[in-house]
Amino acid sequence: MSSTRVRKTAPVVRPATQLAGRTAARPRPRSRRLRPLVPYALLAPALLVLAGVLGFPLYRLVSLSFQQYGLKELFAGKGTFIGLRNYRDILSDGFFWTVVARTVVFAAVCVGLTMALGTLVALLLRNLGRPMRVLVTAGLVAAWAMPTLTAVSIWQWLFDFEFGLVNWLLTRLGVDGYTQHNWFDQPLQGFAVIVVVVVWAALPFVAITLHAGLTQVPAELEEAARVDGAGAVQVFRHITFPVLKPIFLILATLSTIWDFKVFTQIWVLLNQRPSREYFLLGIWSYSESFGVTRYGKGAAIAVVMVLLLMLLVSFYVRQMLKAVGP
Amino acid sequence: MSIPRRRRALAILALALALTLGAAACGGSSGDGDKSTAQSGPRTLTIWLMTGSAPPAVVDAVNAEWKKAHPNDTVKVELQQWNNVTTKLDAAIAGSNPPDVVELGNTLVSKYAAAGALQDLTASRGQFENNQAWLQSLTESCTMDGKLVCAPYLAGSRAVIYRKSMFAKAGISKAPASIQELRADAQKLMSSFGSDKRFSAFYFPGKYWYAALPFVWDHGGEIAVQDGGKWRGALDSAEAQAGLAELKALVDCCSRADKQGDELKQDQAFAQGHIAMIVANGWEKGVILDKKEGNPKLEKDLAAFPLPSRTSGQTAPVFLGGSDLGIAAKSKNQDLALDWVKLLAGTNFQTQMATVGGVIPNTTTLLDLHADDPYLSVFDATAKNSRFTPTSPNWANVEAANVLPDMLVSIFTGRASIPDATKQASNQITDVLNTGS
Repeated sequence: MSSTRVRKTAPVVRPATQLAGRTAARPRPRSRRLRPLVPYALLAPALLVLAGVLGFPLYRLVSLSFQQYGLKELFAGKGTFIGLRNYRDILSDGFFWTVVARTVVFAAVCVGLTMALGTLVALLLRNLGRPMRVLVTAGLVAAWAMPTLTAVSIWQWLFDFEFGLVNWLLTRLGVDGYTQHNWFDQPLQGFAVIVVVVVWAALPFVAITLHAGLTQVPAELEEAARVDGAGAVQVFRHITFPVLKPIFLILATLSTIWDFKVFTQIWVLLNQRPSREYFLLGIWSYSESFGVTRYGKGAAIAVVMVLLLMLLVSFYVRQMLKAVGP
Repeated sequence: MSIPRRRRALAILALALALTLGAAACGGSSGDGDKSTAQSGPRTLTIWLMTGSAPPAVVDAVNAEWKKAHPNDTVKVELQQWNNVTTKLDAAIAGSNPPDVVELGNTLVSKYAAAGALQDLTASRGQFENNQAWLQSLTESCTMDGKLVCAPYLAGSRAVIYRKSMFAKAGISKAPASIQELRADAQKLMSSFGSDKRFSAFYFPGKYWYAALPFVWDHGGEIAVQDGGKWRGALDSAEAQAGLAELKALVDCCSRADKQGDELKQDQAFAQGHIAMIVANGWEKGVILDKKEGNPKLEKDLAAFPLPSRTSGQTAPVFLGGSDLGIAAKSKNQDLALDWVKLLAGTNFQTQMATVGGVIPNTTTLLDLHADDPYLSVFDATAKNSRFTPTSPNWANVEAANVLPDMLVSIFTGRASIPDATKQASNQITDVLNTGS
């Protein structure tokens, strides 16, 4: 379904550029030879900036990961090359695999919940009357607009051990054992709170984008399906979802990238001193680098993290390319 | 039509290029700019002190005194939080424009000295007042390969601060003479006040490792031992485990403090009136009685006793905390910095630190200042039976990795058994102490 839609628009674009070219130029061979270079020239400034702000730090990160680099080296401004030793250290550490597994599971749960709840909210938005829709959208945008640090600080207070609203409320409601209850005593419960905070922040973007996508689904198609006797779930599975598949894929990709490298939420909720039970790859890398001043090892963890993330995301990108077609 | 359009495109391209290159050029030049700053004209001295170290009145007086000798220069004192201070110090002290003077916890000095971040003060030692009478443990923390890398600033050792009225109400007439008595007293307090769901007889936040060490040492345990030049974590020894088991029993029965929490807010918590005992430094009384954060009404109700040993009548060895004042090797104001440090470390202001601030001063010549004070003399006495962390430049990394707090949290929350938790911590300590950075 989606591929026909795309193919329909594609031919419109191509002649337009050709047309512009034809009217623009009197036959002048020199400029025609140069013309293919113009797009690259126009891209050059952006690429240059990207190379500066992304490429160079990335190069530094990778080169750092091959060095012995501690406080002494930081002070002298020069590390010692040690080849793959940082990587060997990490990969032979049992803790590494624990953290990788934890990170992947955490990201999967967050992405799954974000996508599922986001879809439900988007469908809800479509079926709401105008006033309610404005209200819900405003709520979503407010949650979205809040800076992460501010938001997480408020969540931290909600779940505070001594003065937290959640403990107070539960005690008020007569639930026993929540006076001075620490939500982060047991990692499973702690991660549940963290997942809530992460999903809460990620939900608005997914819901609003999907809602925008839903308005583009041809109403006739869904109506036709309904006339043919399809239920709500079937309409979604066979009509709505396939039409929106590219959007779903993009959102899932972005969510995976974001949730894989969650840092601020855990860092702030656990008072900037998360114990090892709460280490995800990002936290581990930070703590090795800036906590224990093994910048080289921290960099190596970060590189491994980027590689893993690329591996995961390449799956989505392949799906996306398939969905969009050649 | 095509020519103007192309021209415009080219112009935009050129502009964009110029801007990016210009921006890059700016970025490049600003870095080296400050190095050429001449040593003339008014200068600004930047001091990093830790929160709670010197009372504001003392800092102001030091600044005023310093200003007399340097009327054209200014001094800026910035207070740093203990939480994650090393991360901030690492970046600042290695940069090209570090703070000139930094207060360093005595366990952190060797890390920065080993990295070459601290100015060698050996030649200036003679200029410091009382430099021959400096407290031995602080002087040792400032000595690296025979060189003096900082000046001793203040010391502190912990004792138990308690509420006299609560003890009286629970029928306890005298301070406990042994740790077993302490637990029995705590249990009495729990049965008298325990109906208050927030009450703790012996308030012990889970990450409070300074206060956990006495239990390990009292049972004959060690954090780490040196074996033929190699360090080995020793918290998994039978003795250390016995000490931690003792502490866990006390925490289980008598503390409702956050098992994941740290001690940074314990004075404010104590001031709220739901706590009978805390392990604290002498100066923390001032925080408890603070008008804004604490409760001045408790003044008459506070007293202290040394943390008792398991051997009745003796005190447990406590951790000797303290701070030193270092001058950054990359500081461009060495002379100004030295003058400032000499003042704060000198007799006049150390006397004020001891009397106003309630800390143990940096010199033995001033130790009798607290002799007549029944409260502060308790803390001075505990300092006589005190211990220190392993003397390795890598110890700071053990602290930064939160090895001990994590171990304690695992034990108190029951996430790991004492043997498992101590085993893991010991392995980590061995690893960090031997490999370092």
